[in-house]
Amino acid sequence: MAHYQPPKQGKASQLFDVVVLVVLTVGALFVPLWMGMAGAAKSVSTPVENPTWETLGQNEAQSAKYEALGYTPETAHDLILARFDYSFSITALLTMIAVILLYYFLILRFSEVEYREVISEKFGE
Amino acid sequence: MADVDITSQTMDGMGPHGTKVGLLRVLGPAHVWALGVGIVLVGEYMGWNFAVGKGGAYAALIACWFAGILYSCVAMIDSEVTSTVASAGGQYTQAKHIVGPLMAFNVGLYLVFAYTMLEAANAITAGYLFSVVASMTGHADALDQRPFIILVIMFLAWLNYRGVLATLTFNLVITSIAFLAILVLFLSTSGVIGTGIMEHAALFEGHELPYGWIGVLAAMHFGLWYYLGIEGTTQAAEEVRSPARALPFGTLAGIMTLLIAATLTWYVCSGVLPWEFLGDGVNGSVAPLFDTARLSGSNALIWLLGFGTLFATLASANGCINDASRAWFAMGRDKYLPGWFGAVHPKYRTPYRAIIFLVPIALIFALGAPLDQVITFSILSGLLGYTFMPLNIILFRRRWPLETIKRGYEHPFHPVPAITLLTLCGVTFFAVFLGYGTQLVAMIGFYIVVSLWFHFWRYRFVNRGAQFTMPWPKPRGY
Amino acid sequence: MDLWNWLEYGAWGLSAAFGLHMAVDWLKTDSTYSEDVLTSSREGELEAMAEERKGH
Repeated sequence: MAHYQPPKQGKASQLFDVVVLVVLTVGALFVPLWMGMAGAAKSVSTPVENPTWETLGQNEAQSAKYEALGYTPETAHDLILARFDYSFSITALLTMIAVILLYYFLILRFSEVEYREVISEKFGE
Repeated sequence: MADVDITSQTMDGMGPHGTKVGLLRVLGPAHVWALGVGIVLVGEYMGWNFAVGKGGAYAALIACWFAGILYSCVAMIDSEVTSTVASAGGQYTQAKHIVGPLMAFNVGLYLVFAYTMLEAANAITAGYLFSVVASMTGHADALDQRPFIILVIMFLAWLNYRGVLATLTFNLVITSIAFLAILVLFLSTSGVIGTGIMEHAALFEGHELPYGWIGVLAAMHFGLWYYLGIEGTTQAAEEVRSPARALPFGTLAGIMTLLIAATLTWYVCSGVLPWEFLGDGVNGSVAPLFDTARLSGSNALIWLLGFGTLFATLASANGCINDASRAWFAMGRDKYLPGWFGAVHPKYRTPYRAIIFLVPIALIFALGAPLDQVITFSILSGLLGYTFMPLNIILFRRRWPLETIKRGYEHPFHPVPAITLLTLCGVTFFAVFLGYGTQLVAMIGFYIVVSLWFHFWRYRFVNRGAQFTMPWPKPRGY
Repeated sequence: MDLWNWLEYGAWGLSAAFGLHMAVDWLKTDSTYSEDVLTSSREGELEAMAEERKGH
């Protein structure tokens, strides 16, 4: 079987390839940020008026630690009561699973095609 | 070539394929340990505590141990494969020989992004530490953190540029100090020496599992942070004196060190800091071990853990530059990326162009993106890499059963570790989905686009048969 | 101006020095050696040598 001869890549073309990769990378990182879809924010669902350590649900040992760290019930209020929201939609979950499976299917499929070519050239058939 | 000494300093790299300048084989098992643990140990000093916020203290401990199992599988699988595929690029080269070129390209990018993002996160943390020290020593205005962030990246890139031996010896020293600092903190606060200040029962009362069991699942997201990066030991493969021995030894010693450090860190911090404070890595405890030292009331411990935190961030950024540049270099050498990057410095024997190129990339992330976003990008790239590993080992054992290639290390109970790893990766994908589903999809979208780009455009520049460089027999089934 | 202001300038200066050193050395290396030498590294040297030693 004739060996595949890759073309020589010129300087400008090399540079262009690098720019493409960098743009894609920066895009993947910053596009979700710009669209404001990034991050899991915590929020306080039921605020407590005039909080004390007891109403914040802190026992003696816990409140002693907060005081040692320099907190008062007022300043610790948001820190203690903020919670994540773990509710999610089944559609979103299924979408994610589908995207991941599609991705792995795609790369394994293409890899297999390329790999067969590598092996047949290397081991000469 | 009958008397070739593969450990020779003058001969190395000058092999039969026409290499005139190659990487230098100078490292021992201790350097491998320092590279692996050095990258990861910062996760004990900051970041793991987000897992506490995700599900409470017990959830963080469960996540710590399940992530420990995940990484033990990673370390075992990696040790077996890499003891036969000893080459810069690590998992990238493994994928190229075992799964196929497109998988290899993806794995190479996972590595570069996981490490470059982690490097950026470390530089951000180091900048923050300088600002804390500045305000503690009476600096009135807010410190401009940018010059310190840039200095960390520039100095470590320069160190890497100048040679791998000095780089990883530096890592060995500062990583050891950071690890000893955790041991000292544990011994002096737990009651082993002097009176203990641990109050686990009282601090957990009423907050055992604040989110229930879904919180335990969610905690797995940041549970990875206890160990993320240990797989980077394989990047040193082309620079250690005897890879078949040093890589498995350094990697497995590394994961054991980390299991100890992670559990001690959890024990010490959760016994002193209330979970809401500990679990909020932004408004609460940015550096939990340092905060624990503050509450111990001992100035010596505060200084020790302060330096431990700084050293851990430096060691991690340093190892990340080393690993990311090796992966980038290996891909350049094979023309997966422009061949220009496949250059080795004739005097320092480092992949100097890859090192220089990644400096501005790291700076963009360190100066332009928020910390949790950068960390999540890093974790996701890592996670995609761990999902690849079980596929890798299953195909490796199928195409080259044990009797066909001599391995430097054979991992036990195959395929149990592979299946365990795959299952835990699935759980972690779900955990990431709970908080950062959009990034997950954006990120996989990115990998799909670059995969198409590679398959239909970039791959034409790659030599087909010649990229398979291992002296292995033909794989079964082909 | 207190100590930390000076340290800020120091950090800018040192960063520039490290960056400049790398850049100068890079350009010098690239112009001294031919591209063939610099990019001559190939994967799998150790394996190839070990194979030859065994007499394959």
